[in-house]
Amino acid sequence: MRQFRRFLRERSALAGGLFIALILLAALLGPLIDPTQPDVISHPLLGLPQPPSFAHWFGTDLLGRDEFVRTLYGARVSLLVGAAAMALSFTIGVLYGAIAGFAGGFVDSLMMRFVDAMLSFPTFFLLLIISALTNHFSLSIIIVIIGLTAWPGLARLVRAEVLSLRDRDFVEAARALGASPARLVTRHLIPNALAPVVVAAAFAIGDNILAESSLSFFGLGVQPPQASWGNMLQDALTPQAEAAPWMVLVPGLAIVATVLAFSLIADGIRVALDTSIGQQGAAETLEVEPPPSVMPSAARSA
Amino acid sequence: MIAYIIRRLAGAVPLLLFISVVTYAMMALAPGGPAAILGPRGALSPAVMARINALYGLDKPWFVQYFYWLKQLVLHGSLGASYVDQRPVVEKVLERLPVTIEMVGLALLLTLLIAIPIGIYAGAHRGSLFDNATSAVGFAFYGMPVFWLSIVLIDLFAVQLRWFPSSGLSSLGREDDPFDRLWHLVLPVVAIALVSFVSWMRYQRSSIIEAMSSAYIRTARSKGLTERDVLVRHALRNALLPIITLLGLSLPTLVGGAYFVEYVFSIPGVGYLTFTSIFARDYPTLMAITMLTAVLIVLGNLLADVAYAIADPRIRYG
Repeated sequence: MRQFRRFLRERSALAGGLFIALILLAALLGPLIDPTQPDVISHPLLGLPQPPSFAHWFGTDLLGRDEFVRTLYGARVSLLVGAAAMALSFTIGVLYGAIAGFAGGFVDSLMMRFVDAMLSFPTFFLLLIISALTNHFSLSIIIVIIGLTAWPGLARLVRAEVLSLRDRDFVEAARALGASPARLVTRHLIPNALAPVVVAAAFAIGDNILAESSLSFFGLGVQPPQASWGNMLQDALTPQAEAAPWMVLVPGLAIVATVLAFSLIADGIRVALDTSIGQQGAAETLEVEPPPSVMPSAARSA
Repeated sequence: MIAYIIRRLAGAVPLLLFISVVTYAMMALAPGGPAAILGPRGALSPAVMARINALYGLDKPWFVQYFYWLKQLVLHGSLGASYVDQRPVVEKVLERLPVTIEMVGLALLLTLLIAIPIGIYAGAHRGSLFDNATSAVGFAFYGMPVFWLSIVLIDLFAVQLRWFPSSGLSSLGREDDPFDRLWHLVLPVVAIALVSFVSWMRYQRSSIIEAMSSAYIRTARSKGLTERDVLVRHALRNALLPIITLLGLSLPTLVGGAYFVEYVFSIPGVGYLTFTSIFARDYPTLMAITMLTAVLIVLGNLLADVAYAIADPRIRYG
């Protein structure tokens, strides 16, 4: 609760949170805001995108489909993929890292070797290859592909945390009381190791959204006619769209604003969860932990 | 130190083997092989497809194919020939490499030039307007898909203002002019630097904040040094150390890290080759790029640790 209040005091994080709430609401209520269907061709002038107007707030695309409505439907895809892929990689990463850290010794080094190997794959390359080679582009496949490539970093984070907690007194006490290893991991170690992972997870949602839009942009993600911010941008790259800058700006700014909002939330959580705040000096040391985004991560991959 | 390096390199061999097996299996097991995409569905008769597959050894189980691939590599140092033009893939990758290294290297340089001074100043003036503003701007760029930023830059500076060329590496007839080449690289380099500088900046900022809160800084302050001297002569030297690690870790991006920018700007580098190879199912080329990148990741990690140990005598490896 105290952390939540501290989070609210971070104005930029609060702004990020409100923005996401707004986008989520708009995505869910899409048809109520504007009853137009996303693939309805609203005027007969094929090939002539219409500039923004009262009827079409964000203009229309090459086929005369309403950009505003498509952006709303694209938000559903982006938020769903971002959150679901994060949930998948979070679950795998937390369990994997906690087990490795708790087991220690040979099991730990073997498990972490595998994580090293996963991290040695050029991740986005992996993403591209898998998506190019599977011929199915359903949303769930995209979620699984992104989720399965994003967990090793989280696992490493949790393991480091669990290692530092493993020999602490409260764990020792639980063990003395006869707690089983499974109980020790799930009830005592994981909850106390979560803080840095939650921050990383919030950043990961943004990264996943970027990954999805990149894949869709190259035709390896969400397939038309289903709207996604990435494949809307793909449309905007055709020569006929050159006179229609809104086709580039609308989906692009939607991506930027959403990813930025998640970054701000993540940063706010980092400040809020810094339990040592208030103690002189301690806050400074926690600040040192580099943002999880610090590594030139795969989704960025210039 | 030498023993440490040798041990690390030896430890990398099973890692690289693992990566090659997984990549090979993934490609070989995926539906639709190199033969299937030579024409529209049904264009090639099954007999022709079977002959093409037999020609490339694709009719054998994947582990047999992998074994041949590995044998070629170990015995002849060969990574095979491309399915697309039958040229040795090593040659294909190596001729693209300088372009990518040049572009990403310049981008890295520009990134550091932006990020380090801003990071230092923001860290030294934590919570100031400058600190908050630069972080906000940085995060905004971080949220931009780099292909989108590239499109916007092209639209603005190439199409509207006509200051820079929109694609390629050289103008017609000026292929050997280094300034022309540089002029073509401005937009792609700026695009890469803009989306990635925030990570470096925040890292530098954190590391300054850490340095400024340590005991030797308190000593320097209590000696009566000015805040400026404390920062420049004491904090800075230690706070620049972590950047070495980050530099080592970003070594692989010099090779593989620019798919999108190369794609959007039509720059014939390794990233562009990756894309064309993926769509052509050119497995040998993809294997070569994967292995090259994986080797660089291993080397980059090692280099980061070694450089750090050299720069900071407190760190010793057993």
